[in-house]
Amino acid sequence: MAEQKNIRDEILDSIGEGLLTVDKDFKINFFNRAAEQITGFNREEVLNQFCKYVFRCELCESKCPIGLILESGSPLYDFKSSIEIKDGTRKPVKLNAAILKNESNEPIGGVISFRDLSEIESIRKDAGSAGNFFGIIGRGKAMQDIFSLVKEIADSDATVLIQGESGTGKELVANAIQATSKRKSKPFVKVNCAVFPETLLASELFGHIKGAFTDAFKDRIGRFELANEGTIFLDEVAEMPFQTQVQLLRVLQEGTFERVGESIPRKADVRVIAATNLKIDEALKRSKLREDLYYRLNVIPIFIPPLRDRREDIPYLVKSFIKEYSKAYNKEIDDIEDSALDVLMNYTWPGNVRELENVIEYLVVRAKNMTIRLENLPSGIGSSLSTEKQISEFKKENPSELLQLLEKHKWNKTKAAEELGIGRTTLWRMLKNLKND
Amino acid sequence: MYSEMLGNKYFLARNYDNAAKNFQYALQADPINKSAKKKLIICFTQIGQIEKAFESFYQLVKEDINFIIETDPVADDCPCAELTVKYGNILPYENESYDLKLMLAMLWLYCSAEKSLEFFKRILVENPGDPRIKEITSLIEEKIKPTNKPIH
Repeated sequence: MAEQKNIRDEILDSIGEGLLTVDKDFKINFFNRAAEQITGFNREEVLNQFCKYVFRCELCESKCPIGLILESGSPLYDFKSSIEIKDGTRKPVKLNAAILKNESNEPIGGVISFRDLSEIESIRKDAGSAGNFFGIIGRGKAMQDIFSLVKEIADSDATVLIQGESGTGKELVANAIQATSKRKSKPFVKVNCAVFPETLLASELFGHIKGAFTDAFKDRIGRFELANEGTIFLDEVAEMPFQTQVQLLRVLQEGTFERVGESIPRKADVRVIAATNLKIDEALKRSKLREDLYYRLNVIPIFIPPLRDRREDIPYLVKSFIKEYSKAYNKEIDDIEDSALDVLMNYTWPGNVRELENVIEYLVVRAKNMTIRLENLPSGIGSSLSTEKQISEFKKENPSELLQLLEKHKWNKTKAAEELGIGRTTLWRMLKNLKND
Repeated sequence: MYSEMLGNKYFLARNYDNAAKNFQYALQADPINKSAKKKLIICFTQIGQIEKAFESFYQLVKEDINFIIETDPVADDCPCAELTVKYGNILPYENESYDLKLMLAMLWLYCSAEKSLEFFKRILVENPGDPRIKEITSLIEEKIKPTNKPIH
């Protein structure tokens, strides 16, 4: 038995995530090596201590992660928070938490695993800091306007509707809105409305009472109650069933809701941020989204442009992702060939920033040199042919514009290439072709 | 979704109302759960249910008085010290309500048996008809007698 425990402890000590377990009194009874490294505490100092005095998560006082699970019954995944470490400073962490139960299904403890996000956060901050807003890279006007709007609405509790294609970063914008709002220290609950079956979404959002439906064995609070005094992010809101849209409308209009199976109105002090990747006109026409709900949600509209409409940000995004994934995969990649960048600049990116991020991760994983080369690009991303085609079209249609642009930038080719959203090599080839003509 | 563990969470956050609901649930499932009972007594005092607190207190003192006396305010995160301070260091003979003195008599047993005894002696004078008070007073006296500690 003791041998088994030693083996288990060795295994848990070998993992990179901090891990601690608490007993039912919330006293720490296991603390692995990574937890020691992240928090600065030795396990001898923390064993048998109340976790709130050691872990000091920013939510310990109001919304203890394990307490949230005990109340809601759902485990917590990838929950962003921060902890106070031994030297008194705070560290950003992403944590998972779950309840440990005995054979009678009674809670007898909890387990929290956590990852130190300090490095990633600092990389995100470093990467093109002027164009980095809460992890969103954007130096172009469209994104800078969004950043300004987010700052302007910091004091407001008004509902926000974020529109944008899949992969444009709607959740990141929601994060930025929450992080700059006056509710930033309060709970931030995220719900993807498309994930839940129609019958369960209302229960997930508003909770239910025992017996409300076949599987409702006990009372359960919903996400609106969990988010009380804070913010809720309703992603893919237009996928919400019509009946649930009525309930949401009532929350927005009256600030009240009822748990499923109950008739007692409950108050909801929750700021709503919603997002959709559907075209609103079509969603309204096809009756996917109630018009009255749309107007209630769309108090502050934010439209995130697709990546193909903000190509000027691609070099900065590429640079940032290279830095981030080089660090993550322990590689020393610091650049990308201009020709490879050209291809990335000219690709249409139907999956937007998410697709670009995945491509860069792929390139970093496969790269054998310090520079990403054209031949490393995945076959689906396009070829130099498309670049050449665009060059020839530009050359044919805009030779004088190109010259004017170069004049404007005093023949600084880097600046001119940036404005055109192409790499320097491409610009050089275009000039060469012009001379030939 | 009640549980003793959720009760403990609320108790640590000093949310006595919700803690009491969970500890009552835990005691229904396991009536000899002394840990839940010990905390439930404090919860009852803080939500104005003094008689319920006293009845539970009486049962636990009879069953195992040491379980309360040996409370470590730090290791057990027991709020007895902060609660007795909250009521302004009232002395047993002061002209305060009977319920307040009864509550302090109970709370003091978690951190000072001598102080608790002072309150119970005073309460016994004011309410000699309750045999539970007499019994508790005797049990505390018996506990602290061998140590010959002076009464503060």
